[in-house]
Formats: sequence, structure tokens, C-alpha cells
Amino acid sequence: MGVGKTTAIAAISETPPISTDVANADASVAKATTTVGLDFGELTLDNGDRLRIYGTPGQSRFDFMWQILIRDALGLAILLDNARPQPLDDLATYLDGFAGALKDMPCALGISRCDTHPSPSLDDYARALQARGLVLPIVAVDLRKKDDVIALIDTLLMQIEAVDAGAPL
Amino acid sequence: MNISLALKLKAASEAQHILDEIAGVTAVVIATPDGFEVASASLRSFDPSRIAAMASTISAMGVVVSQEARLGRCKCITVGTDDGFALFSPVRNQETELVVNVIANAGAVLAQAMYRTATCVKVLEAHKSGWLPPRIGG
Repeated sequence: MGVGKTTAIAAISETPPISTDVANADASVAKATTTVGLDFGELTLDNGDRLRIYGTPGQSRFDFMWQILIRDALGLAILLDNARPQPLDDLATYLDGFAGALKDMPCALGISRCDTHPSPSLDDYARALQARGLVLPIVAVDLRKKDDVIALIDTLLMQIEAVDAGAPL
Repeated sequence: MNISLALKLKAASEAQHILDEIAGVTAVVIATPDGFEVASASLRSFDPSRIAAMASTISAMGVVVSQEARLGRCKCITVGTDDGFALFSPVRNQETELVVNVIANAGAVLAQAMYRTATCVKVLEAHKSGWLPPRIGG
């Protein structure tokens, strides 16, 4: 929660992003608003294909939306905030929540605020993935920057193409 | 978001009244817009926190659809099912915002539940901070 999913989609969407943010009542997170439904944006790829990007609420109590939005998705980008108290626990929550999808869906990790909070390192994330038998691309991102978000999407698209071409997950 | 005790008590009272007054209503959950339970009442065991989260999501989706379709303010969302229905109504009090969720079985009359839910919304919207319970004995 608060990693910047809504900001990321707004940064790259070519159409006015759809957001379902409401006032945040969770005092444990210093944040004025939070997503409770979904975020939605669109992006045109170089080949003319239009990519639809959906953002989910981050909190576990909205995990029913995770299962709704992951249906028929091409790929999954998990965004993590390195400034949170236990980012690796957050990773575990999402890996558990999307465990079914991760069996056959390409996925990439985007880690934000690595500049101000270098620990855990990208290697630490890689080791956490490896412990679960997963090998996924991990990218440090500033979700406010369009180029960074595009780079993450490009990484995910490369994963999708590789899997389509027969590469193992 | 701070919700006063008075508003929480009023929400609890309204939830119980809806449950008591409308035949077929099985559960009422009043939640914050970001999915935390404020008050609930039910005829059976259920998880109000889960319903509260879903109510906030559906209410937010209703707001977005209303905006996209330029239909004005979202006042109510109805989910009809084989065995009943669920109503979701946003509340905009000066103090805060809430979502009222009413779940009913097939024995309930939709119009009656909608009317009573709308009344509950009006009561909660009219509620002012500083509300005090009536003094016993005048």
C-alpha cells in the first residue's frame, strides 16, 4: 500500500486514468487517499497494440480484487516500496496472493525508493524469489518517472514474449 | 479519518434497525470508504470486515461508472442474485464518508429495502458532530 501504483499508471497512460481512490482511514499509513477498486490506464506500443494496464488495491483485505483483475491478464508487475518496514514480507504477501497466476504468468518486480532505502537490496529480493523457486526480473524504479515505468513495462513485455516463444517461467 | 463515537453509535443503531424492520435482510454493514467496518448487524455468523472491503470497492466502482457515464452522483448500487440482493449506498456526511451495505435473501422486497436504506443514508448524512444521546427523564 502506498507504493505508487496509481501514480505509475497516471505517469504512462495516454488516456485520462481511471482511479478509485478514497480517503484513507488507516492511521498506520501516512497517506491521504488509497485505491479500493482499481486503477486503469492505456498505452500504445510501438507495434500499434494497445496495452491496458490495471492497478489493484495493495492491502490484503482487497485480495478479492487481485483475483478478479488477474483473470486473462498477459502479465503481472508487482511493485514494492523499499521504504516500508518489511518489504520482503510485502513481497511474500503478493507472491502468496498471486501464487496461482504465477505458475503460468510472466511477472516482473519493480522496487521503488531504493535510492533512499537501499536495504533490502535487489539481490535480497532475488534470493527471496529463489527460495520459492522463482526467477523474475527485478527493476529499481521511480514510479513518478514515466521512463522508469515504461522500462518496467518493457521488461514485463520481454518476459511475455520470451514465454510465448517457449522460454520457461 | 476520524469517526466520532456518536456517529459510530448512530451507524450501529441504524444497522440494527434495518435488520429488525425489513423482512429478508440478513446482514447490514456500514463501512468507511476504504473498507473498514464501522458498524454491523446480522442474523447469522459472517465476516463483516470482508463485506466492508467489498462494499468500499463496489461503491468506488459505482462512483467511477457514474462519472464516466455522466449520470451524476452515485446514490445506490444493486447486485441482484438468484437468492437475493445486495445494496450499496454511499453516505456523505460533513464529518466523513461511509458506505451502507444491506444484504437480503429472496424473501426481501427490493423497493422496501432500498427505501429503508435511503432513509438510513439520510439519517447518517444529517448527523452532526457533537450529537448527544437524549437525556433520560427529560
